[in-house]
Amino acid sequence: MSAKPLWLRAVIRLERAVGEPVEAAVRTDTYFDLMSKATRTTASAKRKVAGTSTRALHLLNLPAGTDVKRMREQLSRMERRINQLSERVEELD
Amino acid sequence: MPPTLNPIDLVSRINRDVERSLLRARNGVRYVRGTHAPQVGATPKEVVWKRGKAELWRYRNDAVRFGPPVLIVHSLVSRSYILDLRPGNSLIEYLTNAGLDVFLLDWGVADELDADNDLARYVDFYIPRAVAAVKRESGADEITLVGYCLGGVLTALYAAGYEAAPVRNLILMATPIDFDQMGAMVAFLREGRLNAEELVDDTGNVPADVLYSGFYMQAPTTEIAQKATLLDNLWNDEFVEGFQAMGQWSRDHVPFPGALFRELVEELVRKNVLMTGAIRVGERKIELANARGNVLNAMAERDNVVPPAAVEPVMNLIGDPARREELRLPGGHVTFGTGRSAVKHTMPRLTGWIIEHSDELPAAKES
Repeated sequence: MSAKPLWLRAVIRLERAVGEPVEAAVRTDTYFDLMSKATRTTASAKRKVAGTSTRALHLLNLPAGTDVKRMREQLSRMERRINQLSERVEELD
Repeated sequence: MPPTLNPIDLVSRINRDVERSLLRARNGVRYVRGTHAPQVGATPKEVVWKRGKAELWRYRNDAVRFGPPVLIVHSLVSRSYILDLRPGNSLIEYLTNAGLDVFLLDWGVADELDADNDLARYVDFYIPRAVAAVKRESGADEITLVGYCLGGVLTALYAAGYEAAPVRNLILMATPIDFDQMGAMVAFLREGRLNAEELVDDTGNVPADVLYSGFYMQAPTTEIAQKATLLDNLWNDEFVEGFQAMGQWSRDHVPFPGALFRELVEELVRKNVLMTGAIRVGERKIELANARGNVLNAMAERDNVVPPAAVEPVMNLIGDPARREELRLPGGHVTFGTGRSAVKHTMPRLTGWIIEHSDELPAAKES
C-alpha cells in the first residue's frame, strides 16, 4: 500500500490527539463510578415511568408492558424447564 | 515518489487516478447502500453435532496429513467467524490447508432458553459431548483443544476437570486468568459498582448492545481514523471487502447467558478465583494444575482487552509445569487472530506448534 496522503495523516494525527486523552479518561475510577451511577439512575427513571404507565393502564383494566414482561419471563422459565426435562429423557434413552 | 514530467508517466498516472475515482464512486455507493457485503465464514464445513444452539462444525479437508484433530472452542462474547473471516485471512483455512482435521464448537446466538446456562453447563455438558463427537467423527483417540479468550477458560477447565479428557495439546489464546489485570473491560463490575443482575434483561441474558458498548468505549474515536483510511482506499476492492468484513464482525455481538455472567462476575472478576489455582464448577472443585496435555499459552503483545499480564499466570497454574510453553505474538486481541499480522505471525507459528506436537498420518486420508 502506498504512503498515506497528507490529509489522511492529518486526520489520524487529530484523531489520536483527541482519542488518547479520551481513552485515558474512560479508564479512570471516576469514569467507572460515574457510568455505574448513570446506569442505575437511568434504570431507576425507567422503572418510575413504567410504574406510572402501569398504574394508568391498570386503572383502565388494560395490560401493561410490565405484565407482558412478567409473562414472558414465566414462559421462558417454563420453556427452559421443559428443555431440561427433555434432555434428561434423551439421556436416559 | 516525486512527480515526474515524463508524458508517458503523466498519462499513466492520470489514467490510474481516473480509474480509481470511478472505483471509489462505485464502492462508495455500494458501501453506503450496504450491498455487496463480503461473505464471511466461507471455508466449507458441515454440522456434525448439535445441541440447543451449540453446533460442532467440521471443515472439509480431502488431505488430512496430521493427527490428532483440532477442536477450537470459541468465546461466548463474539461470533466465531472471526477465525474464518475471509479467504486468505482465516485461521481455520490456514490450519486446514496445513493438513489438519479442524472442528469448531460454535455457540450460536443465546436467547431466553440459554439464560440458565452456567459454567457447569459448558464445561460438563457441551464440551465433553463435542469432544466425544470429534472422536467419533474422526476416529481419533485424542484431540488438540484450542480455546480463544473465554473459550480458553472453558477448555482449560474441561482439560483439568476430567481425568480421562483425551487432550494431547491444550492451546489457550488470549485467555484471561488474572482478572485483577483486566482493567477497563471489567472495571464496571467490581465491588461497589454494577452488579451482574443490573445488566441482565428480561430474557435473562446480557443484551448484545451492552457488550458492544463495553468494547466500543475502549477506543471511541478510532472509528474516525478507520473511516478516513477507508475513504483513501475506497478504490481498492480487497481493502473495502476486508474493512466491511471486520466492521460486520465488530458490530455483530451476541447476548451473553445470564447465569454464566453472574458466575463470572462473582467468581472470576470479584473473587479472582482462578488465581488460587482452583475453581468450583457445579458440585466439584477443579484444580487447574490437573489440565491434561501439552499447554501452549498464546498471547497478543498489544492486547488491550485481555492484557498479557492477565494471561501470563497460565504458565504458573495450568497443567504440568514441564509441558507448558509460552508464545508471544504481535497484534491486539482480535488482530492477533485475524488480519495481516495474524497471517504473517500467528497462523504460521500456531500451526507449526500444533504440527510439531502432532503425528504424521500414514497416508493422506479422505475426511
